[in-house]
Amino acid sequence: MGRLGLIAPIAWRNLWRNPRRTIITLIVVAVGVWSVLSLSAMMRAIAVSSRDASLRLLTGEAEIHAPGYLGDPGVAHRMPVPRGALLHFLQSPSVAGWAPRLRVPAIVQSEYRSRAITFLGVVPRRERLVSDLPASVAQGHYLSGPSDNGIVIGADLAAHLKTRLGKRVIVMSQASDGHLTEQSYTVIGIFDGPQAAEDEFAFTGLLAAQSMLGTGPDLSEIAFDAAEKTDLENVVTSARRSAPALDIESWKMFAPLAYALESLSDTYIVVWLTIMFVLMAIGIVNTQLMAVFERTRELGLLQALGMRPILIVAQVALESGLLVGLGIIIGALLSAATILPLRHGVDFGQFANAAQSYGVGRIFYPKVDLLAFVQFGLVIWILGVVATLWPARAAAKVDPVQAMSQS
Amino acid sequence: MGPIVSCRRVTKIYRQGVLAVPALQGVDLDIATGDFATISGPSGSGKTTLLNVIGGLDKPSAGQVSVDGVALATLDKNALSDIRLHKIGFVFQNYSLIPVLSAVENVEFILRLLDVPAAERQARAREMLREVGLEGLEDRRPARLSGGQQQRVAVARALASKPAIVLADEPTANLDSKTAEELIVLMARLNVQSGITFLISTHDARVIAHTRRHIEMTDGRITSDVAIKFAA
Repeated sequence: MGRLGLIAPIAWRNLWRNPRRTIITLIVVAVGVWSVLSLSAMMRAIAVSSRDASLRLLTGEAEIHAPGYLGDPGVAHRMPVPRGALLHFLQSPSVAGWAPRLRVPAIVQSEYRSRAITFLGVVPRRERLVSDLPASVAQGHYLSGPSDNGIVIGADLAAHLKTRLGKRVIVMSQASDGHLTEQSYTVIGIFDGPQAAEDEFAFTGLLAAQSMLGTGPDLSEIAFDAAEKTDLENVVTSARRSAPALDIESWKMFAPLAYALESLSDTYIVVWLTIMFVLMAIGIVNTQLMAVFERTRELGLLQALGMRPILIVAQVALESGLLVGLGIIIGALLSAATILPLRHGVDFGQFANAAQSYGVGRIFYPKVDLLAFVQFGLVIWILGVVATLWPARAAAKVDPVQAMSQS
Repeated sequence: MGPIVSCRRVTKIYRQGVLAVPALQGVDLDIATGDFATISGPSGSGKTTLLNVIGGLDKPSAGQVSVDGVALATLDKNALSDIRLHKIGFVFQNYSLIPVLSAVENVEFILRLLDVPAAERQARAREMLREVGLEGLEDRRPARLSGGQQQRVAVARALASKPAIVLADEPTANLDSKTAEELIVLMARLNVQSGITFLISTHDARVIAHTRRHIEMTDGRITSDVAIKFAA
């Protein structure tokens, strides 16, 4: 503390000996920090929007399947209703919700047209825990229970089939005995969602689907969400321990686009941080080298008076620390001022359809993440101070005799 | 009591390309505690080099220098810094103050390096400034002090740590005659009052007039070393 009390006032006042240079450097640091924090908040918000849009569509944060189902997602690869350790896991506090499904490829046919789809038998009450589609029904209503034998289809599929609420469609698929089976369903609901989902998915009650396909109580998949998003990998590991014979994977496998976007977001932040840091470092090092060069005589004087070289290094580094620290605070405040007005959501507007086709939600919600601010700020500050060790070392190496001989 | 400064066959040779330029050639010198000594000689005679070598700012090419019983040749950079801090006070020609610190802060700077407690530090710094006649100007920064006032601050700073010796390199060179006279009288008075040893390099006859010992140098050698009657 004693030494800090000695060098801190000198370091602070030295900064303002050349206010123009200090202000320019402050602007460089502040703009760099502002850009890193603001754009990373945007990128993270878009990535979260993309992930949530994908996961809340149908995937859930993780899925459980019978062995072989992922390679051949047909009725042949089924698993029994969860019981024992798996049921205990699914009912544990680490799982926020889970939904059993029978999911098979099928053909849906109206009196006009047919289309290949994914046909799902679901338990509506459980489906609402992991998916937003039940709440996206724009016409009619969602399934009332597992024995409901109506069908809910997407708006785009309804348009393609030229069908509507109350009309009947035929669903054809391979039954568990290998024969082709078909069943007539009444359209009871039409949902809105991403075009790919509207085209692909059709839902009926789980018991109705099991009856049509002759699977008995068997399931194709169980989707579940972790209680804590940050703990997902541990939860998946627990799930694998509870059912070692089943395939259990996190959403990263089932929503590769969302995962790629999230990874891209992290990569982008690192790249941008690196670029900004290099530019800032050049500015800071240049500023400090000039300051050291201008103060050669004074640095020689400090040594002549008995100031140890390490203390001179500390003083120059402290000048940088104060300069970079002030720039970071200004940049962080600017960033907060940029992000806070957007916290209620940024609408992609006319680009929404394009965004949704890439799996990104229509609206994303940037937020001020204090922890990220502190982490980024600390990284930039430490790197900024480390960068000035070069001019600081140069300052400590000043020969007092030569320095003092300068006029 | 032994000498506060002892130089034995001190030689300093500077290299300028292939040329070897001798700045000091076998200097033998003892400075006793309480001395008020001046060194004079023409430019290039080695006065400043001798002060730098005694002050641990420069290393001799050969020979031994000891200050207050400590042989400087054996010390590393940090230890030399400590010796300068604890045993030597400097007054330089060009009003060498830290420009971003006020007069009192410049004096306190040395005391902070010495870890003197805050209350004692502030009291001693103000007392030193009062001693050198700068009462009321304590909070002025160097840019708002005259050359003479800056040199007084430098003297106060040099004395604040109660050093074994004060080395002053041409302290009056940039001062007008009246201010120079006042400064040298001040240093002579402080020498008498506090018993601190002064070694001053100078061309100034008025300075030499106040000294008790006068050393002449030519071409890196001591050519004369005489005790003279103090004229104050």
